Amino acid sequence: MMHNGAHSVARAAAGDPMPANAGIGPPANLGARAGIGLRAQHHLKVISDAPAVAWFEAHTENYFADGGAHVEALARIRANYPLSLHGVGLSLGSTDPLDTRHLEHVRRAVNRFEPALVSEHLSWSSVGGRFANDLLPLPYTEEALRHVSSHIAQAQDFLGRRILIENVSSYLQFECSRMPEWEFVSAVAAESGCGILLDLNNIYVAAHNHGFDAQRYLDAMDPRAVLEIHLAGHSAVEFEGQELLIDTHGTPVCDAVWNLYRAALRRFGGVPTLVEWDTDIPALEVLAAEAAKADVLRAEAHAVAA
Amino acid sequence: MPSLRELQSAVVHALLDGEHDKAAALIAARGIAPKHRLGVYANNARSNFIESLISSYPAIWRLVGEDYFRQCARGFHTRHPSLAGDLQPAGARFAQYLSELHGGDEFRYLSEVARLEWLVQETLLAAEHRPLDLAKLEQVLPQDYDDLRFCLHPSTRLFASEYPCVAIWEANVGSDAEPEMIDLDAGSDRVLLVRTGGQLKCHRLSHGEQGFLQSVQAGARFAAAVESGAARSGADPAGDGETGAFDAAAALQRFVLGGVIVDFR
Repeated sequence: MMHNGAHSVARAAAGDPMPANAGIGPPANLGARAGIGLRAQHHLKVISDAPAVAWFEAHTENYFADGGAHVEALARIRANYPLSLHGVGLSLGSTDPLDTRHLEHVRRAVNRFEPALVSEHLSWSSVGGRFANDLLPLPYTEEALRHVSSHIAQAQDFLGRRILIENVSSYLQFECSRMPEWEFVSAVAAESGCGILLDLNNIYVAAHNHGFDAQRYLDAMDPRAVLEIHLAGHSAVEFEGQELLIDTHGTPVCDAVWNLYRAALRRFGGVPTLVEWDTDIPALEVLAAEAAKADVLRAEAHAVAA
Repeated sequence: MPSLRELQSAVVHALLDGEHDKAAALIAARGIAPKHRLGVYANNARSNFIESLISSYPAIWRLVGEDYFRQCARGFHTRHPSLAGDLQPAGARFAQYLSELHGGDEFRYLSEVARLEWLVQETLLAAEHRPLDLAKLEQVLPQDYDDLRFCLHPSTRLFASEYPCVAIWEANVGSDAEPEMIDLDAGSDRVLLVRTGGQLKCHRLSHGEQGFLQSVQAGARFAAAVESGAARSGADPAGDGETGAFDAAAALQRFVLGGVIVDFR
């Protein structure tokens, strides 16, 4: 069942003309080149050096404040670069009601910074008002599917635009799950009308941790629904002699994930791509080099396709 | 099959309260015990919380050292878990928590410094406001002054403590140098914090100015705020020899020029 609100907000996808953004800076759509995750320690360098980065993605919650240095820095950066706002705290899958104060902060950030894309995670982090502030996986059941889809539709109605939902890394699976993750992700997009932010590192991590074929995941995604791709690094820990991959965003993108990116380019074409780094954050140049690598792969895929 | 609500309650109980049994029974083992799988999330939740607390309280971190800070932060997380998807507000009650730990001992000043750090953060994150429109003030007739209600910059915070918290705070942020020794009996603090031109400013206040600003902040008429200032100034409650009557005109000028008073109604 399609949510009633979904069609009316489904027009704000990447690449659509968005005249509402014309006043603030560069074109609102993110274009063909890869962007990088904006972190506070790079604010001043981005403002003073205006590096040749195609676009930035910022964590929405980091700009919730009424004012101050971070908010002002992002406004200045937005004047020179296209932007995507990426939330980590909405807890869309929680059985608590959606937090309208949080949604109001997101809406204010969207109005302030006029991002080309707004995204969140297919996860939950709270119950009974207490938050674990991490991206917890849902059980892949009919109940969870209906529940999270209705929350996504509610968020889209509140924001007056389509949002993208990212697949998360996971370190556990619930016994009660009744469908594979890729089926769940596809069904949520179909039911809520949201776009998919496909994080290839998260697919790789989940595939390793739960023993499925990452390519199968890609093959199950509707190319029309995938509107952004994330690339990042991960690390590994060992329990009882078994390796568990952890989504730390603290290392370069690994070769296997670059290979998944090649496959994704073939299947989804020129979708905006972002390189993320969140722990042990290196110099901006290192992030820009990772983005440049993504650009090379995209150009190669384009040349082959042509 | 558990309902989604039951499943989520069990998992949060495991992550925040350390009670793993119910949640573990819902999780597939597949080579790694559910308690380890839950432990990854519990560690993430705690470490995200503590990192946020560290960024809010850099001076406390420096004063007590990493080990004790993390120990306090873990206790605080257990007692006061985050209540929002944004971690920024999660540290609001940390000063109160420190006072519960150290209210009766020689480290009582820690909670006072923490209270100052939280206000500093509020000042840094508050809304922007343009300075007072002096032309607008000049149009007010002198006989109408008493009824004006002045508005403070949204970033304005008033702070008072029996300890020299500002000196302690300044010595423990922004520099890696070994901080100088500060005598806890070096005097009390009575300050106003405000952000002007993107910079944090700290103005030391007389008793009269403090009384005046508290009244203004509470929305009092100018005449009433001046009365509060005069009353506080005469009382000299700290007995620190502050002399002279409260000078309302001088205070008004100081706080307008300092970007503290930004509007009136």
